[in-house]
Amino acid sequence: MQRYAINILLCAAALILVGLAHAGKLDGYVLHVITLIGINCIFALSLNLVNGYMGEFSCGHAGFMCVGALTGALLSVALFTDSTLFGTAIFASHWAPFLFPLVLIGAMITAALAGLIVALPSFKTRDDYLAIITIAANLIIISIFNNIDAIGGPRGFLGQQQTINAMSNFIKLPWMLIWTLIGVFICVIVIRRLMTSTYGKGVSAVCQNEVAAEMMGVNTNRVKIMAFMVSSGLAGLAGVLYAHHIDYVNPKSFDLLKSTEGLVMVYLGGMGSITGVLMAAVAFTLLVESLRFIIPMLNNGLHSIGLLPESYHLDQKWAWVFIPLMLILLMRFRPEGFLGNRELTHVFPRLKRWITLK
Amino acid sequence: MLRVSNLKAAYGKIEALHGISFHVEKGEIVTLIGANGAGKSTALKALMRLPPPESPTVTGGDITFNDVSILGMPAHRIVHDLKMTLVPEGRHIFGNLTVMENLQLASWSRKGEDTDKEIQHVFDLFPRLAERAKQRSDTLSGGEQQMLAVGRALMTKCTVLLLDEPSMGLAPLIMYDMFRTLKRLNTEGLTIVVVEQNAHLALKVADRGYVLDTGKIVAEGPAEELLHKPEIKAAYLGG
Repeated sequence: MQRYAINILLCAAALILVGLAHAGKLDGYVLHVITLIGINCIFALSLNLVNGYMGEFSCGHAGFMCVGALTGALLSVALFTDSTLFGTAIFASHWAPFLFPLVLIGAMITAALAGLIVALPSFKTRDDYLAIITIAANLIIISIFNNIDAIGGPRGFLGQQQTINAMSNFIKLPWMLIWTLIGVFICVIVIRRLMTSTYGKGVSAVCQNEVAAEMMGVNTNRVKIMAFMVSSGLAGLAGVLYAHHIDYVNPKSFDLLKSTEGLVMVYLGGMGSITGVLMAAVAFTLLVESLRFIIPMLNNGLHSIGLLPESYHLDQKWAWVFIPLMLILLMRFRPEGFLGNRELTHVFPRLKRWITLK
Repeated sequence: MLRVSNLKAAYGKIEALHGISFHVEKGEIVTLIGANGAGKSTALKALMRLPPPESPTVTGGDITFNDVSILGMPAHRIVHDLKMTLVPEGRHIFGNLTVMENLQLASWSRKGEDTDKEIQHVFDLFPRLAERAKQRSDTLSGGEQQMLAVGRALMTKCTVLLLDEPSMGLAPLIMYDMFRTLKRLNTEGLTIVVVEQNAHLALKVADRGYVLDTGKIVAEGPAEELLHKPEIKAAYLGG
């Protein structure tokens, strides 16, 4: 019982969160930020599987998020809403709360297949070369999306939030938050189970030394491709949730900047640490959101003491000066991130009594 | 049981082995000796076929294990199905993990089996590893790392062990210890193929030897005989 304390606590916290949102106690913006944190958690955890546990360097993970977002959005619109693109809905809208997992699973599978297509040729190479290939894959995916006019092209695709609205019409609950929380739990469980399995041991061996891994009978190629597929599938899950949350999938939302955000979260948290990456995803999202308030304050402050010329105003673009700056400082002063390859239970062994991370 | 016939191997366009033939019988210790660049390591790598960047491509000849060709068999299958494994040059231990974790991870190919007995066996062979079981393996000395590399290979329950320069970077005493242990493993039934710079030491332990020079076998025979051949003495054994 004691060992499950944290799990129960987390479930309780999730229920309270949902309860608060349902009672309308949470401001719309707060709810938005919480959902965003959840999505970022999934995205960062999925990237952590490749960059942290497997020790390869994927730079274009947002591409798989994009695949997931797009497929999810299309599926959602086709299944549950009347649209000009797909005609009438396949299922009546009151089925939405029960059949929404179909959308999630469809998006994950498609994203995983996209991962397979990228992995097959690129895992003949390693290190820097893999990084370059994944950047290219990211660009290719966005470019494909940009050029399919039927789904909006560069204008983006929208309408999938109607599915969430349909759920709310059926039973009034904060559905977006619920699905995001479920997504985070699934993501943590999948990665945790995977890494404690024999396959996971193979992934660690590949990370440490590929030659040695092969010499002890690990099919390194298969292990790598499988881990990459799971990782891109989970990124797809982040994507489909993002698409439904923002109600607008635009190829630009999944460019290299988004991939970089993922990298920042993984390196901030510590590679190969689930708890570290979760902490980092929360901290990073809050930081990005807080810059929305800090930058105008900084702007006013600097103007009032006359450090900035009247004609120039600090705007939100400066967020992308502060965030990379944080990455530079991180690499200089704490290159291993918050926890650095260790879980919270390793840093504070006493926590072990309260947690089973399985 | 392991037979290499007229094997040719190349790195890109450069041919490193120009058709070598040798065979290894069950329970033997066979050594390949020769100068730097003679193709000893290439021969072992061609046998195991490591993942692409490390490995030469086999351009001719055949390798058979119990009369079945193993060309085109990926390395992990060779380890898993044929029980043949390689201790690569430069040890390649898992530096981030402890000694114990290294050994546990090495039993990967035998999912779910009880591995305590094998770990105990490795600790019997190398008592130093038992003392350091909980230590991170990149903090071990060179000799201890080599012991760990051999121990890890044994964890795959191999029956044929290939070693690439096990004496590299070791102090003479540790080197002798290592070869004594190899001899002991051999008497326990392990077939060993060892590639070695230190020709004298290798020939002392081995049953038979092959001398390689620029990708060809220039001499072969029982180790005792090679040790006393004048031209080999002059070229590889320092007079």
